Amino acid sequence: MRSPRTLEVWKLGTVNYLKSLKLQDRLVSERKANLIPDTVLSLQHPPTYTLGKRRTDHNLLIPEAELTRIGAELHYTQRGGDITFHGPHQAILYPIISLRSIGIGARNYVETLERSMIEFASIYGVKARAGHKGETGVWVGDRKIGAIGVRISSGITCHGLALNIDPDLKYFEHIVPCGIADKEVTSLRKETDTVLPSEEVIHEQLVSCLAKAFSYDDVVWKEDPLVILDTQEHNK
Amino acid sequence: MALRMWASSTANILKLSSSVSKSHLSPAFSICRCLSSVLEGLKYANSHEWVKHEGSVATIGITDHAQGHLGEVVFVELPEENGSVSKEKSFGAVESVKATSEILSPISGEVIEVNKKLTESPGLINSSPYEDGWMIKVRPSSPAELESLMGPKEYTKFCVEEDAAH
Repeated sequence: MRSPRTLEVWKLGTVNYLKSLKLQDRLVSERKANLIPDTVLSLQHPPTYTLGKRRTDHNLLIPEAELTRIGAELHYTQRGGDITFHGPHQAILYPIISLRSIGIGARNYVETLERSMIEFASIYGVKARAGHKGETGVWVGDRKIGAIGVRISSGITCHGLALNIDPDLKYFEHIVPCGIADKEVTSLRKETDTVLPSEEVIHEQLVSCLAKAFSYDDVVWKEDPLVILDTQEHNK
Repeated sequence: MALRMWASSTANILKLSSSVSKSHLSPAFSICRCLSSVLEGLKYANSHEWVKHEGSVATIGITDHAQGHLGEVVFVELPEENGSVSKEKSFGAVESVKATSEILSPISGEVIEVNKKLTESPGLINSSPYEDGWMIKVRPSSPAELESLMGPKEYTKFCVEEDAAH
C-alpha cells in the first residue's frame, strides 16, 4: 500500500530569474535531504532570455548589448534545451521533485510535463501535441506553445516548463527559439477565441494538470509568496 | 545516474550467463524484451553507472537501463583528464529530451582518460552503453570502494525491487 503523495505549490508571482535559480538550488538540496516534499514553483519572469548547458548562443540573433535596450536579461544555465525567452504572461512551473520516489527517468518525466501542458490546453479547446523526435515541447500544429528545459541532479529535478498564455511574441523574433529555425511560436491567446480567466486561475489550472499527470493525491497551496521568499532570504 | 527502472515486477526478468569470462564480457539475455541488459564482469552503482575494473584501471559508463530511460543522448559533458572524481559525486552530465542529467562516479580516483568520441557521437551511449559508450577511465584511489558496489545479479534484483516499490 503506498502512502499518499503530496505536492506543495508555491505561487510566487513575478520573480527575477537569478532569484529563482538561487531558490531552486536551495530547494533541490532540501529535497535531496528529504526536508521538504515534492514542490513546484508557479511563477513568471520579467523579460529574460536563457541558454542551456550547451550554450547555444549562436541562436541569439541580436547583440547582447541590445538586450538592455529592449528591457531583457540574458542568463546561462545548467538545464537541458536550447535558447528560449521567458516574460510576462507566460506561465512557468519549476517542479522540484524526486524522480526516485515516483519511479521514473528523464524521458518519462519530460513526457509527463508535455502531457500536463497538452491537458491544460485542452481545457480551452486547443488541440496540442507533444513534439516529434528531437523537438521536445508542446505544439499546436507546427507552432510551439510550450517549452521544456530540465536539470536532474541526484534524481531531483529543477527548471521545468514554460507555457505561453499571452506573452509579447515579438521577443521571440530575437532568437531562434529552442534552436528550431523554421517553426513559429504561438500562445494560448492566439489559439483560442475563448475568454481567458485571470492569470491566477490559469496558473492554478496548469498546476492541477501537472499534479494529475504525476498522480499526486494531494496539492497544498502555499499562501503569501512574498512572505515565503522574504523569509527564505532572511534565513540565509 | 539517479534514474529509475520501469520493469514489470511480475516478470522473471533477466537470466545471467553463468560462465564468467575474464577476457570478454558475457552478455545476459532478457526474457522480457522491454527490459535491458546487465553484463557479467562489471560492478554497478545504485545510481545506474557501471565499472569495469582491469588491473589498475577502472572504466566507467552508464547502464543499458539508464540509457533507455534517458532517451536519445544529444550532448555529453565529461571532466578533464588528470582531474579527480569522488565516489557518489557528480563527474559530468548527459543531455537528452531537453533534460541534463548528472552522472555520479561509483568510485574515487584520478581521471586518466576521457572518451573523446562522445563529443561528436553522444549517441554511442545509447547504442553501446557498455563498450563504445564508455565515459571515463579512472585510476582508483580506494580499491575497497569497488567491494561495496553491486554485482550483476544484485543490480538486476535492485532494479526489480526499485520498481516493485511502486
